[in-house]
Amino acid sequence: MVDVSQHKLVPEHSVVDEDVLEGILDEYDIKRTDLPKIKRGDPALPDDADTGDVITVVRDSRTTDRAVAYRLVVD
Amino acid sequence: MPTDTTPKEIGEISFGLMDPEEYREMSATKVITADTYDDDGFPIDMGLMDPRLGVIDPGLECKTCGQHSGACNGHFGHIELAAPVIHVGFTKLIRRLLRGTCRDCSRLLLTEEQKAEFTEQLTQTRELGEELGDVTKAAIRQARKNDHCPYCGGEQFDIQHEKPTTYYEIQEVLTNEYPQMIAAAMQGRSEDEDDDEEREPVSPQELADSTDLDLARINEILSGEFRPREEDRTAIEKALDVDLTVEDTNKLMPSDIRDWFEDIPDEDIEVLGIDSERSRPEWMILTVLPVPPVTARPSITLDNGQRSEDDLTHKLVDIIRINQRFMENREAGAPQLIIEDLWELLQYHVTTFMDNEISGTPPARHRSGRPLKTLSQRLKGKDGRFRGSLSGKRVNFSARTVISPDPTLSLNEVGVPERVAAEMTQTMRVNEGTVEEARRYVANGPDDHPGANYVRRPDGRRLKVTEKNCEELSEKVEVGWEVNRHLVDGDIVIFNRQPSLHRMSMMAHEVVVMPHKTFRLNTVVCPPYNADFDGDEMNMHALQNEEARAEARVLMRVQEQILSPRFGENIVGAIQDHISGTYLLTHENPRFNETQALDLLRATRVDELPEPDGQDDDEPYWTGRTIFSELLPDDLNMEFTSSAGDTVVIENGQVVEGTIDEDAVGAFGGEIVDTIAKVHGKTRGRIFINEVSSLAMRSIMHFGFSIAIDDETIPEEARRQIQEAIEQAYDQVETLIETYEAGELESLPGRTVDETLEMKIMQRLGKARDSAGDIAEDHLDDDNPAVIMAESGARGSMLNLTQMAACVGQQSMSGERVNRGYQGRTLSHYEPGDLSPEAHGFVESSYTEGLQPREFFFHAMGGRQGLVDTAVRTSKSGYLQRRLINALSELETQYDGTVRDTSDTIVQFEFGEDGTSPVQVSSSVDNEIDVDAIADRVMDAEFDDEDEKRAFLGERRRATNLSEHTDARRVSSDD
Ligand SMILES: [Mg+2]
Ligand SMILES: [Zn+2]
Ligand SMILES: [Zn+2]
Repeated sequence: MVDVSQHKLVPEHSVVDEDVLEGILDEYDIKRTDLPKIKRGDPALPDDADTGDVITVVRDSRTTDRAVAYRLVVD
Repeated sequence: MPTDTTPKEIGEISFGLMDPEEYREMSATKVITADTYDDDGFPIDMGLMDPRLGVIDPGLECKTCGQHSGACNGHFGHIELAAPVIHVGFTKLIRRLLRGTCRDCSRLLLTEEQKAEFTEQLTQTRELGEELGDVTKAAIRQARKNDHCPYCGGEQFDIQHEKPTTYYEIQEVLTNEYPQMIAAAMQGRSEDEDDDEEREPVSPQELADSTDLDLARINEILSGEFRPREEDRTAIEKALDVDLTVEDTNKLMPSDIRDWFEDIPDEDIEVLGIDSERSRPEWMILTVLPVPPVTARPSITLDNGQRSEDDLTHKLVDIIRINQRFMENREAGAPQLIIEDLWELLQYHVTTFMDNEISGTPPARHRSGRPLKTLSQRLKGKDGRFRGSLSGKRVNFSARTVISPDPTLSLNEVGVPERVAAEMTQTMRVNEGTVEEARRYVANGPDDHPGANYVRRPDGRRLKVTEKNCEELSEKVEVGWEVNRHLVDGDIVIFNRQPSLHRMSMMAHEVVVMPHKTFRLNTVVCPPYNADFDGDEMNMHALQNEEARAEARVLMRVQEQILSPRFGENIVGAIQDHISGTYLLTHENPRFNETQALDLLRATRVDELPEPDGQDDDEPYWTGRTIFSELLPDDLNMEFTSSAGDTVVIENGQVVEGTIDEDAVGAFGGEIVDTIAKVHGKTRGRIFINEVSSLAMRSIMHFGFSIAIDDETIPEEARRQIQEAIEQAYDQVETLIETYEAGELESLPGRTVDETLEMKIMQRLGKARDSAGDIAEDHLDDDNPAVIMAESGARGSMLNLTQMAACVGQQSMSGERVNRGYQGRTLSHYEPGDLSPEAHGFVESSYTEGLQPREFFFHAMGGRQGLVDTAVRTSKSGYLQRRLINALSELETQYDGTVRDTSDTIVQFEFGEDGTSPVQVSSSVDNEIDVDAIADRVMDAEFDDEDEKRAFLGERRRATNLSEHTDARRVSSDD
């Protein structure tokens, strides 16, 4: 099996710590469930990601160097 | 922001079912008579036109609110239905509830644990903001699996739904032939004739033993004196291996369903995602019907004085009539059959009152045979309330006409016909400074161009300006009045061409009033609108308040749209002859004397020539590049490759070398235009584009530019070479075919031999056409107009030229050689199996020579397919575009930089994931914009003193250039 997370076009996915997450949700003034979603079965997810976790996706960007997005893992 | 013209401010909308009590409460009157007006023409009390339902005749007073027509929105009435009927809009939900709840105790057929589980799932999906449909459907599916109620144990039956509004319960009941069937089974016979299996006969005693029944009871059953109860029946069935039941359908009347639903507990419907506070399921069965106000169904008086009623009124008349008949029949004790028929009829009328386009139900028709337009027909479809009246309104202050080009206009301008200008007005609020001006407009009257059509006095009264009263009226105009004056030069309007696929399809232009009947626009704005002048029409919208005008001027003006957000480069720029013009001016860098040079620059801001480039016979001359450089900003430095292939070098605003063509000044990313618009600003960009187009027009006229058949004719020698090249290709194709037929052709990886042959033939023929093109190109002069256009990027390509001068080449049908037609051949002119180029659509003639009949036929095939493909592509991409726009239309970038939808859920954490506008960013990877460095450089160049710099940064005010018509509002007058 190919591990897509190692592919150069797949950006870095990692689980956000709960205490860090609180700050993020505060910043955007949203609830956890208002975040965009990602399926539990998504092959790009790290192994330790579980339903209900929040994932941060960090992409390279030509204009801003780093583009950060957050997603809630759902079933 | 409610104003006096806002009818009501909406605080909240909640959706749910409506309580019949609420219908009664909001009703202005009960409607009991089907008649509308009496013999004297007065509305009948408690009739369908009862004056309490609102007024439509001007002058009359509403009996409910006391207002006059126009001010009164009308009031609902109600009809008390003689028997409950089903609401067609909820038939699916009714079916689901019937299937999911107990027929005896009305509880949801789920155990407490299952209910808890589904409730949990519901809250979860609600939190995630997803559709509840999947969960509730799953709950019903689970509930249907129970054939006995987990609470009262009652047996459940299948519910059959006959569209639109009939429900049956399917029960298994004991057949009437049970004695015979049992007797037969006991003798070992079978009902089924195919069943040859011999069975042991069973004696009554044996049956009694195996079923735990008395022998006497068995005999009673056998004689037909006793109908076995359900458990006895199943016991006998089991013992004898027979089926004693038949299906019986039991129709559920709306009243039965209503009773059933009334007993469903609140907590059970919550599990199905229904808010029990707001909606009770029994409300889906109507007992009261609201009667829409008369203002929603106004009657029209025909020429002959007869009243013609609205379709809804007709339908309501039907409902009331049947309702009355139903009541009379029931009171008279009519037989059940008649009552049921009337009930069904009442159901039909109420159903078609709400929706008259239900499949399987004949639509209710007008006397003329036209189907009635009832409630749902008013909302649905293209001309319905949503698509026709709300998202697509026809608007005032708009005009549409044919467009034509006018190169003398600025790209910011639009030429507006006088007739349009005299109709589209702008409201002037008269003050001390404008009172004289306003009076002059009014004095000109409604027909003479800068005139006025209406005035509004401070007391709010609106007066029409006419030819007769204009002189008199103009003297009365005072401060505080409003004058609706005609459009004049410099007014801002929105100009649009459909299909409006991107934001540059609607841009703001400044008006230039002109004679004749077409809208005029500068040809450089053709690319953003995708307009040409072969009969295209465009729309103009005159803006009606200051806010809109300011917004349009600052955000929507053409010069603000020079850079396209689609690809981040300019979309406004030189096209076609503009490009040929600059090419002629700069390619061979011709010389011009003083008169010629001044003439070329006539329509630009340049009124003084630079130092001449040299002397020709004691006469000073200027080169084309020098003249072009006059349009460039002095500090422009760049280097790039032109379409013609040479390197363009610009140093300090002077073209040192290179050809100015499409890559320099063209629309769709002309380097110079792009750079000026980005570095020197939109205003400088606009000036540059305007001047380039003027200079280009002057220069193409100076040289003269035309094209004819002779320009695509090549010498006999060249023809012979081309013929040779093609013949050579034919020979090679012939060899290929021979190898193939000998079975010696080796297939390419992943292809069959046949595919390989086709590919190789296509390849070889393509090469033949290319070399024919090369030969033709060698024999065409560099000053050939078609060559100039192709090389400069103005129009056409070398391929077009090849096809005109040398060889049209292979005609393709969906990417392959032509293969269709007869069996094994394309035309009956060829042998079956002929693989030669000419038999499969290779056209060796050129367009100038003319095509052979067979070539012409193949060419027509290819041409037709091209047309069909484009037609299909545009409709497909149009639909895709529509869906994308609908999906994305409510997304909005918030002040915190996130992109959210209307329910505030985040779609992007930063607009475009980088928070940058595509037009503010460098369009190429290797040309990054260092914003800080630019800012520092600009600031350092501007101020030598730090304090000055800081003072400037404190109060930043950029120069505005909001209009090209500073003195436009002066109205010509005699004084
Ligand atoms: Mg056209
Ligand atoms: Zn009223
Ligand atoms: Zn029950």
